[in-house]
Amino acid sequence: MTEEHQPRRDEDQKEFAEEQASLFKITLAPLIWAAHFAACYGLVAVTCAKGWDIDAVRFGLLVASGAALCGIGWVGLTAWRQWNVAQTGDFVNRGGRAEDRHHFLGHAAFLLSIISLIGVVFVSLPLVLIGGCQ
Amino acid sequence: MTRPSGLPQPEGPYPPTDEMLAEPVPKDVQEAQAKRLRAAWETPKGWRYVTAVNNTEVGKWYCLTALVFMLLAGVMALIIRLQLAVPENDLVSADRFNQLFTMHGSAMMFLFAVPMFEAVSILLLPGMLGARDMPFPRLSAFGYWCFLIGGVFVIGSIFFDAAPRAGWFMYPPLATEDEGPGSDIWLLGLSFIEVASIAAAVELIVGTLKCRPPGMRVNIMPLYAWYVLVVGGMILFAFPPLIAGDFLFELERSFDWPFFDPTRGGDPMLWQHLFWIFGHPEVYIIFLPSIAIAAMIIPTVARRPIFGYSWIVLSAVGTGFLSFGLWVHHMFTTGLPSISLGFFSAASEAVVIPTGIQIFAFLATLMAGRVKMTLPMLWISGALAIFTMGGLTGVMLALAPFDFQAHDTYFIVAHLHYTLFGGMVFPVIAGVYYFFPFIQKRLMSDRLGKWAFWLTFSGFNLCFLPMHLTGLWGMPRRVYTYPGGLGWDWLNLISTVGAFVIAAGFATFVWDLIRPKHKQAQIPRNPWDGGTLEWTHDVPEEAWGVRSIPHVTTRYPLWDQPDMLARLDAGRYYLPDAEEGKRETLVTSVIDAEPVQVQRVTGPTWITLWAAAFTGGAFIFPTFSWYTPATISGALAICCIIWWLWTATAQVPEADSKDVGLGLRLPTYSAGPASVGWWAIWITMLGDATAFASLVFGFFFYWTASPDFPPDGAAHAVPGLIALAAAAFAVNWGLTVGARQLNRAGRVTPARICLVGAPLVAAAGAAALIYAVVELEPASHVYPAILWALAIWIAVHSGAGVIMQVYCLAGSLFGKLTPRYDADIWNVSLFWHFVTISALVTCAVLGLAPGAL
Repeated sequence: MTEEHQPRRDEDQKEFAEEQASLFKITLAPLIWAAHFAACYGLVAVTCAKGWDIDAVRFGLLVASGAALCGIGWVGLTAWRQWNVAQTGDFVNRGGRAEDRHHFLGHAAFLLSIISLIGVVFVSLPLVLIGGCQ
Repeated sequence: MTRPSGLPQPEGPYPPTDEMLAEPVPKDVQEAQAKRLRAAWETPKGWRYVTAVNNTEVGKWYCLTALVFMLLAGVMALIIRLQLAVPENDLVSADRFNQLFTMHGSAMMFLFAVPMFEAVSILLLPGMLGARDMPFPRLSAFGYWCFLIGGVFVIGSIFFDAAPRAGWFMYPPLATEDEGPGSDIWLLGLSFIEVASIAAAVELIVGTLKCRPPGMRVNIMPLYAWYVLVVGGMILFAFPPLIAGDFLFELERSFDWPFFDPTRGGDPMLWQHLFWIFGHPEVYIIFLPSIAIAAMIIPTVARRPIFGYSWIVLSAVGTGFLSFGLWVHHMFTTGLPSISLGFFSAASEAVVIPTGIQIFAFLATLMAGRVKMTLPMLWISGALAIFTMGGLTGVMLALAPFDFQAHDTYFIVAHLHYTLFGGMVFPVIAGVYYFFPFIQKRLMSDRLGKWAFWLTFSGFNLCFLPMHLTGLWGMPRRVYTYPGGLGWDWLNLISTVGAFVIAAGFATFVWDLIRPKHKQAQIPRNPWDGGTLEWTHDVPEEAWGVRSIPHVTTRYPLWDQPDMLARLDAGRYYLPDAEEGKRETLVTSVIDAEPVQVQRVTGPTWITLWAAAFTGGAFIFPTFSWYTPATISGALAICCIIWWLWTATAQVPEADSKDVGLGLRLPTYSAGPASVGWWAIWITMLGDATAFASLVFGFFFYWTASPDFPPDGAAHAVPGLIALAAAAFAVNWGLTVGARQLNRAGRVTPARICLVGAPLVAAAGAAALIYAVVELEPASHVYPAILWALAIWIAVHSGAGVIMQVYCLAGSLFGKLTPRYDADIWNVSLFWHFVTISALVTCAVLGLAPGAL
């Protein structure tokens, strides 16, 4: 299952840079979730402690939720393309070629963007459902 | 920008072709290679056995020590259950009871559950990755000895009636005001062990990223390795907040600095936040690696590849992230605004999704496969059943209104034991049965194993299922006795009976584990027909780990690469020899595992024991306020560690590259991002930065929580000195990085001049920072106290950084550090990148925040 040709070093380095980016991309969607979560918790905590205008903060955070969802959606879309399951038909990506690893990282990033999407929706619900700082 | 060091690049064909692999190795060559390899990896005999650093030895000690601590904590649980068996019991006093439950929780968490992950991973991971050893064997050994010393110290306190007694979470003000050394023993003893945990996490992360066999790309590595990566990362972000909390707590205990004392501006809630930012991810730090064992066992018993590999990776990574958004669900009744509770409630519900996905993936694998019901699988089935129950009550408790009712009752005790037994104890025991042939080259008894399982399983449910009801009927946790006639009597009695049935199960298991097995015939090499690399182990045992490091192209190489085992045994693959008589393993690239370097790993030594003993002194003596012996001990520990590094790490090799087999030549030395040491520093400093961030969080937390922070008319840090410190740290950074660049460019003398200047400037910076706050009274209010704490943090780090700079200077003078071999200065400048950022942030907080807030 090894590759046919011996890869050249420069070719490798370029590919490596791309893959480093896609390893990072696996964590990108959860990181957006984490940033959104921290922003919601932190800002609401300070607002309630300092008596700032909670309604304005809720509205601002809901806008931020929208932005986070768009960001995760974008990550998910690029990951879906990288996985490329529609063309390869390979849902498992268990091969030993560079291509398999490339598709796998896309697959994993895609799944993580779905879970992050759900996470952001969950965490945004209290902003809608709970009125103030009581 | 940086000039290349001139060290050779890997040369030769890679990946190997089928013809190359098919070519046989002559018999006499094989034998000569095996002999040299055996000599290089020989385990020390007799009383020198304790100097061993090989992962198979250290891993075994680690597991056994954690097991002993677990049994001790289990005995404490039995005493607790005896005391509660009947109402108005007086078997133990209230004070003793407090010590028992505090110690039971602390020991189970810090001395068993977390160390068990490290222990099992150190023991198994190199086997699964076809590596000879972990990249830093002496670090593992050092971590183990620290764990042993700290653990004996902490758990031993109960025999002197001096154990901590404020609950395993040490809430102030109860714990800060508590008389006697109990709280200090908890804080210092466990901080010591936390440091060892972080060391293990660094080791495991670097091992997974850089020591995989050639060809094992990230999409085909064993799932266990994915879990190790995730859990290692979680340890790096979860433990440091607790270490920062411990630091503040101990300053309050020892010097009366009022971090958690509300009468002087402090806030006990800060401790709760820092503790649970650690405490909740910790639950998953315990759970994920144990479920990872299930992910290794299930494909074997189902005789098919795991179903949904990517889905399991998703669930591991997803759980890792989400688990950091749950900590406040331990604090639902502390009076936070309900909208804040809502966020944590929502995240607590969301984490169920990835957790559930992995369980469904396991079930799907079992349904699609031809299951052979083995003993390990029996334990895994028990685990899944129990864990699911615990998960369901978890979903209930994540709803804040339900939690208000159940908080601090036995319902919680039932819930947490269901998650921990199902999520940790059962899978780990399954793992012991499954991996015992790999570890000891013997088999455990099927009959005793079934007895142990049914006793533990039924005893567990007998003990903890009624507790849900006990809790719902209102029995609070942590009471040493209760009046009769409230409906709790018979429930408690059943629980006590159940506890002793569990104990009988454990006794059976432990007996099976330790009973002599010399008479057993030689076991088959792969008794379960597993597909992963650890089952290429040698029977009878060889200490070299793997005869030659294979080229792996599939997820289950023993199933899918039929010729691999014979070729591996013949030494056809990489590093089949130890020509120089040195211990070596392969270092590969992070994503695609292309071979990049031959790493020399360290061998048996006494120095790790000495270093651990003195480090132990530095942590243990302050418990009794013996500061002079503590300081001496700390200094000796530093000396030991320097000697250890100087004589064993980043040694100039006798040749720049060597033939590793199959025509490939690899370099024997590397510096910067190519080296494992650099990665280790990077990962360590990430954890360190998290601890620092927790301190800064503390500063802003006080500002949020109190209307007058800083208080009106408070004295501030001296602005001029702060500016001076900031300038000094910036200059120091320039000199350090400059030394690295100049040295690499061959301009050794200017580099040495930089290395003379840098420590002086750094010391001046630290001194300026301390002088900026020296006039403030830290015991008077939390504001000066937190400024002091930040300044001390930076000063201590600068001290370590100065030692490192002087080490590099000495290296340059004595030929250990040259323009060609410069790993040390790369690592030191990486350390200073982090410390410089922390120092500048500290200067900003000290100098600018009083004006801005």
